[in-house]
Amino acid sequence: MSFFIDHPKARWALPVAALGVIGATALTVNQTANADSGLPSRTAAQLLADVRSANVSSLSGTVVQTSDLGLPEIPGLSMSGRPGSASSSLTSLISGTHTWRVWLDGPTRQRLALIGSNGESDVIHNGNDVWLWSSADKSAVHHTLSTDQVRAGSAGKRLPSGLPSGLPSGVPSTLASGAPRTPDEAAAAALALMGQDTTVTTSGAASVAGRSAYELILTPKDKATLVGSVRIAIDSQVHVPLRVQVYSTKRTNPAFEVGFSAVDFAKPDARQFSFTPPPGTTVTQSDHLLAGTGGTNATAPKPTAPEPTAPTTGQGAPKVVGSGWSTVVVAPFTVPAASKGSAGSAADSTAQLNGILKALPTTSGTWGSGHVLEGSLFSVVLTNDGRVALGAVPASQLFSALAAK
Amino acid sequence: MSAAEPVVTEVSERARVAGAAPLSRRLSTRLLRSELRLIAGRRRNQMGLLVLAAVPVLIAVAVRISSPREGRGPDFLSSITSNGLFVPLAALSVELGLFLPLAIAMLAGDSVAGEANLGTLRYLLTVPVGRTRLLVTKYASLVIGAVWGVAVVVVAGAVAGIALFGTGPMLTLSGSEISFGAAVWRVVLVSLYIAAGLAALGAVGLFISTLTEQPLAATVALMIFTILSWIADSVPQISWLHPWLLVDQWMAFGDLLRDPPFWDNIAQGLRVDLGYAVVFGLLAWARFAGKDITS
Repeated sequence: MSFFIDHPKARWALPVAALGVIGATALTVNQTANADSGLPSRTAAQLLADVRSANVSSLSGTVVQTSDLGLPEIPGLSMSGRPGSASSSLTSLISGTHTWRVWLDGPTRQRLALIGSNGESDVIHNGNDVWLWSSADKSAVHHTLSTDQVRAGSAGKRLPSGLPSGLPSGVPSTLASGAPRTPDEAAAAALALMGQDTTVTTSGAASVAGRSAYELILTPKDKATLVGSVRIAIDSQVHVPLRVQVYSTKRTNPAFEVGFSAVDFAKPDARQFSFTPPPGTTVTQSDHLLAGTGGTNATAPKPTAPEPTAPTTGQGAPKVVGSGWSTVVVAPFTVPAASKGSAGSAADSTAQLNGILKALPTTSGTWGSGHVLEGSLFSVVLTNDGRVALGAVPASQLFSALAAK
Repeated sequence: MSAAEPVVTEVSERARVAGAAPLSRRLSTRLLRSELRLIAGRRRNQMGLLVLAAVPVLIAVAVRISSPREGRGPDFLSSITSNGLFVPLAALSVELGLFLPLAIAMLAGDSVAGEANLGTLRYLLTVPVGRTRLLVTKYASLVIGAVWGVAVVVVAGAVAGIALFGTGPMLTLSGSEISFGAAVWRVVLVSLYIAAGLAALGAVGLFISTLTEQPLAATVALMIFTILSWIADSVPQISWLHPWLLVDQWMAFGDLLRDPPFWDNIAQGLRVDLGYAVVFGLLAWARFAGKDITS
């Protein structure tokens, strides 16, 4: 200590050094370790085969999803994902950062918990029972699956065979209007798009959730699309996709990312899948899993870009213009009437939709006129004559698709 | 400064304790015990503890008289009626914004700046007590003060809550129910987590306290620091800064009420707490050890 007595000013070096160490640690932890970690190299085809043959039936982990879709600040859409219980509502998925906890145990038992600040929404599937729990309003929705549905769920219709069917097949596609939420779900969607449109390469090892992983990079050959590349990190041992990042051509950070921040492939405790509605809970019996979650129908399936919650009505089939990455879907569109049966939530979402529409810039051209929403990964045009066009392309592409009736 | 604590008493107490402790016994707790006696003896601190204890009682009584509407009101409030242990949790979430940081700010203001203002600091340093040891003692007393303040809120809330609402099973955020015994554990964990955050705030307060000789200035400066942190934390445009703010994960104590508890945010909060405590503790040391004590 005599050094510090002789040089009193030198004491200040200590707090500065501590700050430096903390900063350096934070930076190295946050940075994805892209260094070669000594994994044997594998080709893209080998990796795909690995993924298809992966056999993981149980896991528990934390999934973090971040979206930076470059959408304008729209009143009514929670952009920060922070205020109150809104962040734990199942319909607020399209923007901001969200944290999920997942527990999977075979095809019949899954649980998904969306973590909000002092709130939580759970989807619990156990055998024939599906429960939706919302801590914000202390309500539970109960849905009983028929035996057929249970079997269909175990077959995993939406996923390539062999991939762990992350969730009951009915639940994920309907709950959040198609936004992929688990890494394997998103990977499956991206893989389905591959073909002659895409260059598939691999890069050095990545580190996701403390596990070493291979990275598969899909680059669209089509230059018209807004998707720059899709990077899929695949676990080097159990060959399960751990993270999916979608890069836009417009910015350097991922526009959409979903990945594990912690994962464990051990069989979760059976207690995680049991749910008994606690006393004082409003329990709704439902034939429709959607009833409790805002009444949005899934729009036309378009795998990579997460779509906005645009309620479409059934009349008239959607029209597909173009192919591959620059596919544009043109569909009839009407704002649903407020009194649509399912009471409060539908009226709320209609009001919200109208508010969003007002906030969007208007534009017009040879195709007509309407509101346009341009994000970093996709664009949407809602025309005044009742059509909606969307695709992972700039808005100008949508205009020409709309013009080509 | 109340008349109940004449300056002379503090000085003579300090001189007696420090003088009596031989230099070789560095780990003696007598200095700390004397510091704690001084803190506990101050009339304003006793009044502060009363205010801290009054809030949960007020919440419990108010909820008892008028049951809150279902699913409305601040988090936890609507769950109080099912289990008395939600009273301390609701009280903590209410007091964490202002009252608890204010209590720490009062203690921190008194710790060094208060002594300097009274003129007791130089007497304290004439007796054979190293400056580093004095500072460590001051910080230890702040940490104990943080635990103390949280414990008062929790115990008062638990007593009032159990008396008015009983000891039913606790409803977790995940929709499951845990037994009363397990719920007590969760509340203890929540208290320790919050106390850790306040202890880190105490390190900031200790540093500010070494910068001035006006205890009020130190108290106000620490409150400004706290409130600015809360404001910065609520502005989404600077979200890159949020992980670095001390208060960012303070409200994450709700994650301990999930089933199973969700540790990610808690761990992040504790890391930030530790970082603040180390950096500001060292800053306080660098400042205090080389400071000219003029009063």
